[in-house]
Amino acid sequence: MIKLLGAVLILFAGTMIGFQQAARFVERPRQLRQLAHALQRLETEIGYGHTPLPEALERTASASPEPLAAIFRKAASGVWETESFTFRDSWEQAVRTQWAATSMRGNEQAVLIRLGSILGISDKEDQMKHIRLALLQLKAEEDAARDDQARYEKMWKSLGILIAVLIVILMV
Amino acid sequence: MLARVVHLLPTELKTLLERLPEQMQEQLEEIRIREGRPLEIGFRGQSRFMMIDGNLRQTADGAYKPSADTCRKLLERITNYSLYAMEEELRRGFITVSGGHRIGLAGRTILDGGSVRGIRDIGAFNIRVAREVIGASAHLLPKLIDRTRKTLHSTLILAPPQQGKTTLVRDIARTVSYGLWPAYEVSGWQGRKVGIVDERSEIAACVRGIPTFDVGPRTDVMDACPKAEGMMMLLRSMSPEVLIADEIGRPEDGEAIREASHAGISIVATAHAYDLQDARGRPVLRKLLDEGAFTYVVELKRTEQGVMHRVVSAETQGRQASSARAVPLRRPAADGVHGLTGRQRADDP
Repeated sequence: MIKLLGAVLILFAGTMIGFQQAARFVERPRQLRQLAHALQRLETEIGYGHTPLPEALERTASASPEPLAAIFRKAASGVWETESFTFRDSWEQAVRTQWAATSMRGNEQAVLIRLGSILGISDKEDQMKHIRLALLQLKAEEDAARDDQARYEKMWKSLGILIAVLIVILMV
Repeated sequence: MLARVVHLLPTELKTLLERLPEQMQEQLEEIRIREGRPLEIGFRGQSRFMMIDGNLRQTADGAYKPSADTCRKLLERITNYSLYAMEEELRRGFITVSGGHRIGLAGRTILDGGSVRGIRDIGAFNIRVAREVIGASAHLLPKLIDRTRKTLHSTLILAPPQQGKTTLVRDIARTVSYGLWPAYEVSGWQGRKVGIVDERSEIAACVRGIPTFDVGPRTDVMDACPKAEGMMMLLRSMSPEVLIADEIGRPEDGEAIREASHAGISIVATAHAYDLQDARGRPVLRKLLDEGAFTYVVELKRTEQGVMHRVVSAETQGRQASSARAVPLRRPAADGVHGLTGRQRADDP
């Protein structure tokens, strides 16, 4: 009886782990797409609205879903909360601390941090160029992420169950 | 004075400047920040270099030198982290921040078809602390009142830079706009509609079109607008009774003033010149004076006691009202009489 219960638990846990891994592959392209939308919004605010950066970030945050919104909100508030911060510091800290809550990887983090080092300190054309460059890079990452999704999503789902079944068989 | 601009400064500069004696902080007029070069501060018309330990010296040896990082932080703070939104300001070479403080910038310029489009690689800042002296015009105004038309006479204010011209016209605008006429027999008059053409955003220090200095309730400000054009625009659109413009001198300014003075409007303008003699050496000013566009000419001079003024009638060129008084810039208002320190005769300035 206890053996059966254990087997069921292992099967359940294995399936869950598999689904969770698969979910990361589903989430990543989705969040990359959302991030691209957010940056497009930021580009509009900067290029056409001439909105000051903290306000532009707040607006971008309010139009973005979590966990992305938190990055923008934190970057905007960081410069006021820590006096010795440049905007670059504030942005980098926001990206790094909020990153764990997203399903995105190191590549896109590097793109964002690079973008943060020029945001707000050059003229309009330059700002728009840099944001567009970041968008292109994110697009490439998104394409790669979609390939990964197609390849690994199903694999992880079945792998979870199969490994769980294997463990159960070995135990019996 | 330091307290008013301290929020703009990065932490390291702030801690350093806060070591200045309190009296010095009060008298602060300029903070000059140049990347990698000695920090200079200006007060009471003098300048000193600031040492790392907070002392002031005349020589630059051992002075504190702001790093590139400090300058970047300063630039971010004064532009609200948005240099891209400051294109017009960069073309003009300075940024006006709330509180009316003006920050001059220098660096490498970007040209577009031969004219300056902006500044990049900004390496030098000059923070000019703005003073709002309520009552700065209290002694001058009674002499400029036109009793028949119940308004001001057209007046040209002359002085070299940094003598308090802008402070004075700002106070004139406020007083006239509120209708706080500083003479007993005219105390019942109401205020006049005032139009200010503020080409360099100094008089009203507008931030996004809203004056940050109190320039009075009946005052309209055309901010960052070329003077000649601005004067004509205000004339057409806002029906001012008193028109105020800073630092006139270009031929088109003269044209606009002529136009306005024939429209029955009182004009209060300032110009860079040491005195009336000096002003007559400038063709535009001479023409205006000869044509009688101004009733009075006021010469300003800053002395140890404060700002001295001398009123000259422009028509007769005589020295009718040649009394001068010292008005200290930093004296708070007392007993309804603003900033009076006593009378001084200065018949030959």
